[in-house]
Order: sequence, then structure tokens, then C-alpha cells
Amino acid sequence: MAAPLLLVARCGARRLGTAAALCKRAAPLGPMPNEDIDVSNLEALEKYRSFTRYFKLAEKESRRPRWWKTYWQHTNPQPEPKTDISLPRAKLLQAKEIKKRKKILRENHQNTEMERAARLRTVLIPLTEVRTEWEKSSGPFHKRRVAEHCGIFRDLFKGATFIPWVTLRVEYSQEDEHLVPVYYGNMVTPSEASGPPAVSYEADKGSLWTLLLTNPDGHLRDTGSEYLHWLVTNIPGNDFKSGKEICHYLPPFPAMGTGYHRFIFLLFKQDCPIDFSEDVRPMPCHSLKMRTFSTFDFYRKHEDAMTPAGLAFFQCQWDSSVTGVFHQLLNMREPVFEFVRPPVYHPPQLKFPRHQPLRYLDRYRSTQEPTYGIY
Amino acid sequence: MYCICSILCITFFFLSPWNFICCFPPQGLCFASTKTSLKPETQVDTSENEIVAPDFTNRNPRNLEQLALARKERGWKTTWPKREFWHRLRLERTQHYVEAFVERSNGDVVLSASTREWAIKKHLYSPKGVAACKNLGRVMAQRCLEAGINFVNFKAVIPWEYRCESIQEFEKAMQEGGVVLREPRRIYK
Repeated sequence: MAAPLLLVARCGARRLGTAAALCKRAAPLGPMPNEDIDVSNLEALEKYRSFTRYFKLAEKESRRPRWWKTYWQHTNPQPEPKTDISLPRAKLLQAKEIKKRKKILRENHQNTEMERAARLRTVLIPLTEVRTEWEKSSGPFHKRRVAEHCGIFRDLFKGATFIPWVTLRVEYSQEDEHLVPVYYGNMVTPSEASGPPAVSYEADKGSLWTLLLTNPDGHLRDTGSEYLHWLVTNIPGNDFKSGKEICHYLPPFPAMGTGYHRFIFLLFKQDCPIDFSEDVRPMPCHSLKMRTFSTFDFYRKHEDAMTPAGLAFFQCQWDSSVTGVFHQLLNMREPVFEFVRPPVYHPPQLKFPRHQPLRYLDRYRSTQEPTYGIY
Repeated sequence: MYCICSILCITFFFLSPWNFICCFPPQGLCFASTKTSLKPETQVDTSENEIVAPDFTNRNPRNLEQLALARKERGWKTTWPKREFWHRLRLERTQHYVEAFVERSNGDVVLSASTREWAIKKHLYSPKGVAACKNLGRVMAQRCLEAGINFVNFKAVIPWEYRCESIQEFEKAMQEGGVVLREPRRIYK
């Protein structure tokens, strides 16, 4: 009897500030955590006996979706299901293939040298072979995951993803015979990328391909569009020379101060020879307006006849060769940018701030000089 | 869309290095060559190139973290493991397999390598153990460098487990592979 009276008094006094929902007591809208565990008989419960076991379970539990609103839900909005625009998947593992693999594993287990090497920890697996096998099996999925994290699908295809089934090998050759490869996200400097790279991929005879190099980050006037650096179309099989070069190669030119730009190689597989006459750029095209490009519109125009099959991209930062590109090729003054930090957030100013130092007033003064110093 | 015939520098062609090493390309490898165009050089108007917007926004999500300017989640000080990183390396050793993940602070996995993959499993005697961890480290280091992830945080290891030979070998293999297991400090000023 005393409790409800106290409750009303408390509510009455604090009605000005607190949320009304807290004053009204009701049953919870869902099950409470650990409700299902019977704590009356603690000895009968199964114990963890080790921290690792507890930690693994705790991590898994923390990631489970909850019926109450969480910070994770607030920061990570649920992604919509993405459309898949890749080539049809090669047939899945047959029973024969699985049998073969099991046989290899059994042979490995019976092999005494492998066992000794594993026991003495001297075994070193051949990384090149592992990589070739990976590119055939789980490579495309991993590449798609990395590409999604680098925002490629979001910027180029407005969210539609594809699995790069075809392994695209792109290598920039330097003067000293050394090759700079392009994988999924590595760093290449503009001086290394000043000439067109050597591109190779596995192709059947009679198939037609299109290669596209685009920069979604470098546009100096409009953030939403990209710059087309290279476009070669109707490439029969592997024979690059007979492909029609619609837009000749322009070396990367990430402006100083803008940070790292992504340069993305896209390989499309064509079903039939396509007429790209609308996209033809004049032979030395150094006009940025003509090089402004949108992969989404380009793909939309030709989506019936081609599908994306290969992907490779690199990150590129400014270096001294970019100045040369601006001055000589593009015939313009080089733009230089500086990073501007977003302004520091301060909550709305209160007339009587609680436990704040004197410099609280400095934060809300419109002029820059702080007059209270460290007080 | 019309081209203005103006006297532009003819040095355009000579300055870009289009020289190639003349050798027979290995199987499947082709060099793209310059096309000596037979049609007349159309002079393209480059006068509009100078117009540049004063504000530039870089959409690359990896840009800020590569410049060490991105925010790290600094809260979570009372719990373990902390989330103050851009990329974290996590090694999971189960009864049957060993898996390594590189993930972001919101939990999204960027790269992964596991002894469950056929590519790695077929070269190993057993998919668990010190030898497996060591080779997994080498493969993971190669994949991290290919993806451009050079700095990873490797703090989320339980202290008494960190002394295990398998985790020590994994860490050594990652470091020898070229990945630095310490993220640079964020630039505040």
C-alpha cells in the first residue's frame, strides 16, 4: 500500500522531465534474457568450466537479433536483397569430384612424410598453387565480398552485385622488367600505371569481351559520376589487339589532397557483337567532359547483350607523375585540395550547464579565439 | 559535341610512355598496343577541363582509413574486446578446423581464410594444429596484401591463449608475410 503512494508521489514530482512510459509499469513486451534458465538449483546446471567456451557463446549471443531496439540496429540498417547480375554459375560439385577429394585426403593421411612434416612443423604449402586453386573455387566469392566493402557495387551498379567468375589478371609492366599486379584493392602508384597494362583471362574461342577501366572517385565537378580511363570492346577471345579501342588509355590522375581513389577494371562477356558507336570517343580524348561516364547507364544500355564476368581494382594516390598528366595531357592547371574536418558536434547550449568548465562558453562563441584557455 | 580545330601540342603522344618490351607474350598474355589511327586526329576541346568544383567528395569508403583520418569506435572501454580499430584479425581454432577472419568494427567480414577451403586443405596433413595455423598465416598474409590491408589489429586474443605455439606461429607467419599487426594511430589534428 505504501509502494503505490510513493510511486505516485515520485511520478508527480518528476513529471516535468522523465518519459511518461517509465512511470507506467507494465509487463515486458517480450521474453527477458536468461528467463529460460532455472536458477533455483544452480548445482544441477551445466557449467562452462573454461573462459573460451563462455566467450564463444557470449559472442554468438550478443549478435542475435533482439526484440528491443538496439544500438546495432540503429547503426546497421538492414540491407535490401541485392540483384545478382553475374554469369550463370558453373555446375556445382558432382559426386565424382567429392569422391576424388576424399581420396586425396585419405592419401594425405596415409602419407608418412606429410605426417612427419606436420608433426615437426616444417610443412610449407605452395602458395602459388593454393592461389590458383582458390581462384577456381572460393576466389570469386571472396572478391565479391571485398568489392562490396570497397563500395564498388554501390557506386557503379547502384547495389546490384555480381560474382566475378572469370579470373582477370592485370599487370602493369615497368621499365626494369618488373610487373606490378592489380588484385582486389592493392596500392598502385600513378607512375607505375602510366601505360596500359597487360590483361589476360581465360576465354573460349569465339567469345567476345569488353574491358572497361573507370574511376568512380576522381570526378572534379560531380561526385556522382565517374571518369572513363579505358574502353576496349568486341575483343575476340584472348586476342586483345583485335578488340576495338573505343576510348584510349588515360593514366590515373588522382588530385593532390583527395586521398585514395579506386580504379576498377570490369570485364564483360558479350553474347554477340555489340555496336558501341554512341560511346565512341575521339582518338586522343583529353577532354574531361567527354570522359565523364556512368557505368550504370552504360550497362543499362547494353545489359541484354553483356554480363559482368571479371573484376580487378586498385587504390591510387597522388604522386609527381599526376602533375605531368594534368599539365601535358589534360592541358589544365593542377587542382590541389585540402582535407576539411567536419565541425565538432556540441549539444544545444544550456543556460545552466552542470559540471562544465568555463571553456563551455568558448564552444558556443561564434568567433574563433577561445578566451578562457584551459579553464 | 563538335571539335574545335585548334593548334594543340603535338607532344601529347610523345610524353606518355607507350613503349613495350618486345617479347613473345606467354600463354594467354597479350599487350595492348597503341593504335596508329588512320582517321584524322580530331582536336578535342580541353578548355572546359579547367572548371573544377571547389568542393570534392571522395566516395571511397577505404579512403579515410587509409589516410588514418577515419574514426575508430572509441567507446566499449568497460568491455573486452575493444572496438577501436579499422580492421581486426581474429583467429578461431575449433576442434576440427582453424579459421582466420579480417573484419571491421561493425562485424562485417572483409577477408577470410580457413582450413576448410579445399585449396588449403589438400596440402595439409591435418586441418588443425600448429602446422595448419602457420600455413594459414602465410595464406592470410598474402590475401591481406592483395586486398590492400596492410595494418590489422591483433589484440582480441585471450592472454593465456596468446602464448600457445599455434597462435605464436600464426602471428609470426603474418608478420613475415608483410602485414603489420598494429594499426597506426588516428590523426587528430
